[in-house]
Amino acid sequence: MTQQPGRRDPWRRFRARLRGSFRPRAVATAPVPALRPSAIQVAPPRIAGSLMRLALAVAIAYGALAAGLGYWQVLEANKLSSDPLNPLVLVAARQAPRGTIYDRNGNVLARNVGTEDDRQRSYPYLAAAPVVGYRSDIFGAAGLERTYDAQLTGLVTLRPGDELLRKFRDQPYNPSDLYTSLDIDLQQAAFDLLGDQRGAVVAIEPTTGRVLALASNPTYNPNRVVDPDAGRDYVAALREREDSPLLNRATQGLYVPGSVFKIVTAVAGLGSAAIGPETTYENQPEEYDTGFLVDGFRVRDSRRGVQTDHPLNFYEATEVSSNIWYAHAGLDIGADNLVAWASRFGFGDRIPFELATSPSQVNGGDGPLAGFQDRVELANAAYGQAEVLVTPLQMALVASTIANDGLMMKPKLVDELRASDGSVTRLDAQGWSQVIDPGRAQAVGNAMQLAVEGPFGSEFAGAAKVPGVPTAGKSGTAQLGGEAAPHSWFIGYAPADAPLIAIAVIVEGGGAGAQRAVPMAGRLMSNYLGVAR
Amino acid sequence: MDVFSLSLWGLRILFVVLIYAFFFFVARALWRDLRAGVAGAGRPLARLFVIEAKEGRPEPGTSIPLDAVNSLGRDVNNSIVLDDSFVSADHALLTFRGRAWYVEDRGSTNGTWLNGQKVGALLPLGYGDEVQIGQVRLRLERERGNE
Amino acid sequence: MIAMRRALFSVGIRPHLRWRELGLLTIVALTLVVGWASLQSFRSGQLEMGEASLLFTYLLAIFVIHTAFVITGRRMDEILFPTAAMLAGISLLLMERLPQDLVTQQILGRELGLADVQLAWTLLGFTVLAATAILVRSDGWLRRYKYTWAALGIGLLLLVFVFGEVTGGARLTLVIGPISGQPSELLKVILVVFLAGYLAENRSLLSSASTRVGPFRLPPLPYLLPMLALWGLALAIVIVQRDLGAALLYFLVFLGLLYVATRRASYVVLGLLLFLAGSAVLYLAFPHVQDRVDIWLNPFTDPQGAGYQVIRALYAYGRGGVLGTGLGAGLPQVGSVPSIPAIHTDFIFAALAEEMGMLGALGVLGLYVLIAQRGFRIAATAADDFRALLATGLTLVIVVQAAIIAGGNLRVVPLTGITLPFVSYGGSSLLVNGAVIGLLLALSDRGVEPPPPDQRTSMSSRIGRRARRAGGRLEEALS
Repeated sequence: MTQQPGRRDPWRRFRARLRGSFRPRAVATAPVPALRPSAIQVAPPRIAGSLMRLALAVAIAYGALAAGLGYWQVLEANKLSSDPLNPLVLVAARQAPRGTIYDRNGNVLARNVGTEDDRQRSYPYLAAAPVVGYRSDIFGAAGLERTYDAQLTGLVTLRPGDELLRKFRDQPYNPSDLYTSLDIDLQQAAFDLLGDQRGAVVAIEPTTGRVLALASNPTYNPNRVVDPDAGRDYVAALREREDSPLLNRATQGLYVPGSVFKIVTAVAGLGSAAIGPETTYENQPEEYDTGFLVDGFRVRDSRRGVQTDHPLNFYEATEVSSNIWYAHAGLDIGADNLVAWASRFGFGDRIPFELATSPSQVNGGDGPLAGFQDRVELANAAYGQAEVLVTPLQMALVASTIANDGLMMKPKLVDELRASDGSVTRLDAQGWSQVIDPGRAQAVGNAMQLAVEGPFGSEFAGAAKVPGVPTAGKSGTAQLGGEAAPHSWFIGYAPADAPLIAIAVIVEGGGAGAQRAVPMAGRLMSNYLGVAR
Repeated sequence: MDVFSLSLWGLRILFVVLIYAFFFFVARALWRDLRAGVAGAGRPLARLFVIEAKEGRPEPGTSIPLDAVNSLGRDVNNSIVLDDSFVSADHALLTFRGRAWYVEDRGSTNGTWLNGQKVGALLPLGYGDEVQIGQVRLRLERERGNE
Repeated sequence: MIAMRRALFSVGIRPHLRWRELGLLTIVALTLVVGWASLQSFRSGQLEMGEASLLFTYLLAIFVIHTAFVITGRRMDEILFPTAAMLAGISLLLMERLPQDLVTQQILGRELGLADVQLAWTLLGFTVLAATAILVRSDGWLRRYKYTWAALGIGLLLLVFVFGEVTGGARLTLVIGPISGQPSELLKVILVVFLAGYLAENRSLLSSASTRVGPFRLPPLPYLLPMLALWGLALAIVIVQRDLGAALLYFLVFLGLLYVATRRASYVVLGLLLFLAGSAVLYLAFPHVQDRVDIWLNPFTDPQGAGYQVIRALYAYGRGGVLGTGLGAGLPQVGSVPSIPAIHTDFIFAALAEEMGMLGALGVLGLYVLIAQRGFRIAATAADDFRALLATGLTLVIVVQAAIIAGGNLRVVPLTGITLPFVSYGGSSLLVNGAVIGLLLALSDRGVEPPPPDQRTSMSSRIGRRARRAGGRLEEALS
């Protein structure tokens, strides 16, 4: 039997039948798909191909969504969770007892009171208010309560990786106690001495930058701020008061420094070698009577009999606080140097600190001479007048830097965070910048010691002397112009040979430095060093 | 961490894991389809399982691989030869048209039956459906790994 | 076994087992039970399931639907339904978890809270899904009357324009007697049906012919009219209804379909240019559009006012992190103040991401991607162009909508208020999305065939024929 080629091929046969009578029947609404595509005049592209590209577009869109999720839930999660507006922070405050805040001797500065359902903060020492601040459900937080809010509530610990593990703990929040360097006795003494006068005191441990006292008067009662019933009225009344008790004068109050700024000028002069310890100005004794004429402006010194017999050198000029000598020095140093050296102390920027700070300034910043309008402003700025404005914290840092051989430490309040799970985070002392070399810092320090202990200096600043302890410092009387009483200033440190405390005191409208600030500083340093007066 | 919160976290994680298990099983199914599609080029589209053949040819229990177009009948020129006295020479046609199988009768003497129904017009059939031709009962079966 | 099959066949039942679907539904059930247990255990502080009738009602329903598919012998996709069931189940967990008084409804003298109402709508939506999947055996009624559908859609839209109730600054809700609904949800399906019909018919012309303007080969201008009309429609919706989300959805779906039908990038470019031009005009002309964009770019400028919702959502992501807080342990409200306004509708994705974490939220996004994969596959293997385009359009409607709202929640795109399909609270959305999945299932049925021609002319078929004839005339008049 002869096989016809292809006879066995079912396709061939099937197609032959298609040409013939084969027709699928019963084709209703949905046609049975034909084996071959029906002829269309122009065949459009296959849908499956375009679908692949559409699917790709969808995949890209969903990839973007996944990236968005990752961004918010991994990269930004920590930041979002500790945002003070996040309701989580409020809830955590309700669920977990907030951490306690201690001073350096273990005195409690802030703690929780009330029942578990109705927790409230209590502040045993009103004097600590400018440092500790408050935490209220209504007004949010201030001070350390604000800065360390996340750690106190236990939302965030400073250790990496804890974020993920936190969810698995029984107690999801791990509140930390704060151990600060504040000495509440010193702080209280500062308030007592300020009495009803406006002003501020900042005391720093020079070798570490630890803040020992930071007083700002007047202040407020944080217990009344956090009172859920009376808090609103109290805060409204505080805001109305013209002596602004909510302002932290120690870190944010800007004052004309007067003669205490001469220390900055001295550092700029010695540091830039524009002046030396033996620098004298020939005309200075004569100008003592006539005034030193700078471009039509007369710089004058107050009348003190000791300054006329010979031109003063750096030590003597500092001891007697000669404005004329420093005006000469300022002009020699020049605008650029003065600004540059002041900025090494942190002038011009906010000081990095655990409380909000204002930047101090050497000049208004809009003049042609590196910000000074003219030589008159420069000459006046050199002895702390003109447009020089400083915070007490800034001046305490200046004193502390001289005391620490020219090395400025970063100011800090919190030494340790002890979390409720037992883990301890230490915040170590950090050097900030070597403002001036130790030798020249020593020279400035010697001048400051003379200003307190020298035969002429003790007339002004002798009251700052800690009995039996070498003491260095500089008083200041900041003229405000017009009839307003000058600000009374003192910055200094003790013991001069191995400093334990550096201090800045300002009493607003307190008159001459010797009247208010100097004796206060003496009392405070003596108290701190345990020396009876 | 106590037992309760440990087991609570166990539940929470299991919850998410199960969602991903869902994907895993879907992905496995899709992967099998894909592999079948790749490997399917030289493979039969489906199989006809011989449930019963009164005269023993083809042998019951065997399965016959299918192409797109399969002619069934007693004539040896059919792609599937059913050597049964009740089967016509050119009996039926079993075709795969894109996405479904169709069976039609080619004017046989004794007719073709789909699930006990006589096949008049072109009828679609699915996997598991039973076709009776003469005394031979066949079942359309999915080729393993094919959708 | 065979005897049993034969017995079933003889009464006209041809069961078709769906093992894959059964397996996946089992995983869905397990997932939801575990999720429920974690939620209730967290609430009560001990390991327990609590009062779980809500969950078991839902699980019963999905297995009943599965059984219905098996018994009716549908040979449909076996992955789509479990995917939708997973999404709706997660939605129920979230609704159970949210404050129940966000929505209350009196039904038959009983006060139903958020989760109960959502369950009721989900069950209705799944009934629609099953009914569509089982009963739709021919697409003729969709294919033939595309202009009628379009007219119906426009009519619906006009109704909303005129009678719509304003909620939250947008005119979206249509209230007829006791029933209220958002027709924009239904409109999206109607639109897809029309577009699929139109594009399938004119595909070859649209993809080949062109109009020359100087050196440029532009698409045939007369055939672009529908595109422009749709663009105009989208603009009108934004202007009159203030429904940015719906407008964006319609336009994107349209562009996607146009591209699939013609594979011409020039259409997409042209469409995007039109879109940009339209957006610019809207931005300049309407303050509420400006607000949306401004909030999107800088929510933190007004954290207690305009940016509140978005910022609260961001906090929720932060709280959730990678693993989430766990169901029930998140913070949808503090005291009695909801943490995120509209958390059960527009911001359900934020709630989900907080409690299920990034991993859970990625899983949910993956479920939508899965719907896309299945839908596109159904389109790719569809019998003809109309079905392919219909399947593509229906898939896009769900997938693009989910992407728009999730992107809005995540600050990837400006926020527009539309629902997250199957997860957000909302009756219209659940019903329509149920119908969409049902249609996709019907399209995927490899056995969708007309029943053998019935020789007897029954009363119903006569009525049907007459209706078809009338419909045909209407169709002619409209086209």
